Amino acid sequence: MTTVPMMHAMIVAAILLGLGLTGLLVRRNIMFTLLSIEIMLNGAGLAFIAAAAHWKQADGQVMYLFIITMAAVEVAVGLALVLQMYHHLRTLDLDAASSMKG
Amino acid sequence: MTLEQIRALLPLIILVGAAVAIMLGLAVRRNHAFTVAVAVGSLAAAILSLALGPTVATPITPLLRLDGFSVFFSGLILAASLFVAVLSHGYWNRRRTVISEEFYILLLLAAAGSVTLTMAVHFASFFLGLEILSGSLYAMIAYERDRQAAVEAGIKYLVLAGGSSAVLLFGMALVYARTGTLDMAAAAAKLAGALDVLTLAGVAMILVGIGFKLALAPFHLWAADVYEGAPAPTAAYAATVSKGAIFALLVRLAAAMDIQSNPPFQATLAAAAVITMFAGNLLALRQSNLKRLLAYSSIAHMGYLLVAFLAAGTLGRTAVGFYLAAYIITTLGVFAVMIVLSGTERDADRLEDYIGLSRAHPLLAAVFAGMLLSLAGLPLTAGFVGKFYLLAAGVGAHLWVLVAALVISSTISLFYYLRFIAAAYAQPAAPPALPAAVAMPRLARLAIAVLVILLLWLGVYPAAVIRAIQEAVAIGR
Repeated sequence: MTTVPMMHAMIVAAILLGLGLTGLLVRRNIMFTLLSIEIMLNGAGLAFIAAAAHWKQADGQVMYLFIITMAAVEVAVGLALVLQMYHHLRTLDLDAASSMKG
Repeated sequence: MTLEQIRALLPLIILVGAAVAIMLGLAVRRNHAFTVAVAVGSLAAAILSLALGPTVATPITPLLRLDGFSVFFSGLILAASLFVAVLSHGYWNRRRTVISEEFYILLLLAAAGSVTLTMAVHFASFFLGLEILSGSLYAMIAYERDRQAAVEAGIKYLVLAGGSSAVLLFGMALVYARTGTLDMAAAAAKLAGALDVLTLAGVAMILVGIGFKLALAPFHLWAADVYEGAPAPTAAYAATVSKGAIFALLVRLAAAMDIQSNPPFQATLAAAAVITMFAGNLLALRQSNLKRLLAYSSIAHMGYLLVAFLAAGTLGRTAVGFYLAAYIITTLGVFAVMIVLSGTERDADRLEDYIGLSRAHPLLAAVFAGMLLSLAGLPLTAGFVGKFYLLAAGVGAHLWVLVAALVISSTISLFYYLRFIAAAYAQPAAPPALPAAVAMPRLARLAIAVLVILLLWLGVYPAAVIRAIQEAVAIGR
């Protein structure tokens, strides 16, 4: 079995992070915003996995487990807030959530 | 794990244990006063266990380390959490519509996350502490879910904190890819000051992540909206505990990695400090909402702290420790006044709410004025001595541009603080917007009295505290 060089995996991870960041900046729908954050987190997770494989250690994989746990927390709280937002505003558009100015 | 290590871990064990105990207790019976008592008791017990804990630096697994540095900052954080818990009692009592008990679970967990941050010497514990803190903060910000502004603020904070966490993690992964270790000191030793493109980008991304959480310019835009939407106790918590913990971590990370002596980072951070000081103070000028004003003022104060941070060395770290203590006491004082004045419907955060405060509550008005003067850095208050130390650290390290920016921007800040003080001592033209006869809970009165005593003590006789901080940060290295 041939191994994937670490740099290639890192580039994929960076692309994921960039895609997520672009989505975060461009999309106005809260569901897509949450999705974009997940993609960014997975980019970081992939980078950890690649680095761990390179160093033949488990540390990076442990970090990945922490990252999915944290992503689950984020989604759980995030979706609860989305429900509340829909309850108040009847829309999932983030631009509508701008009652505070100054 | 040895007994000594368990003793060192006691504060965390107590906090998490109390959070679980409250959660289980709520399943049986709800009682607000009892919940507050458990929360305050466990925070006090955690402080006591810190004071009675190991006196020598104790590594607890490769992840955490209890030394003078973490004892000092954990103590500060736990004490601030205790004040917020005490003040929340009266606040939630007045808001009968909200179920209030779960707030204290979140508060204890956030405190546990913050304590983890001050002890973290490993990227894994850094990340875990940060996420326990932010995860609790999301829920604390959106706690009054019936208010649209609170939900908006929660979503805003969640999206930005989630995105910045991902950037921070990617930075850690890059450093890990190059060094093969997640231990901060070991990674720094492997890099030995020579950073290539990969690690330069990695450390830069970590700093961006931290900058977001501290609301340093240019990542400061979220703070005002989040503070405005959040209930006053949460805003107080985010402004004091969360910022203090993250700044403590930044100081430890920088001491391990020697960030201040690395020219590109030094230049970037110095630029960020100048922009942060001016952006915070200039944006605060236009605010007539006290929460937004405090958000911008806290941004500016993080900029001041960066001056001492960049000065590095023992003097720089002592200045950071003292200024953070002074900042936390003072900010808690202002929020305490806001919390006791807040009514059943909304928080007392408008300028109109404070017009004629000196007539209705002369003592409270005096406390309010004193706290704001300390934020502005006038003599006889903790803020003055703190600012003096920041300047001394900056001058000692020959950071002239930063020192000049600090002096000019804090002069600007006088204007908006004085505006609120003037309002408090003005003649009310119309009957006050909030009912004048706010029954002040005895506990809140006690908390405010203690804050005032601390403020004057640090302002008039700071020598003892400064000596303690010097010892603490000397071990921290």
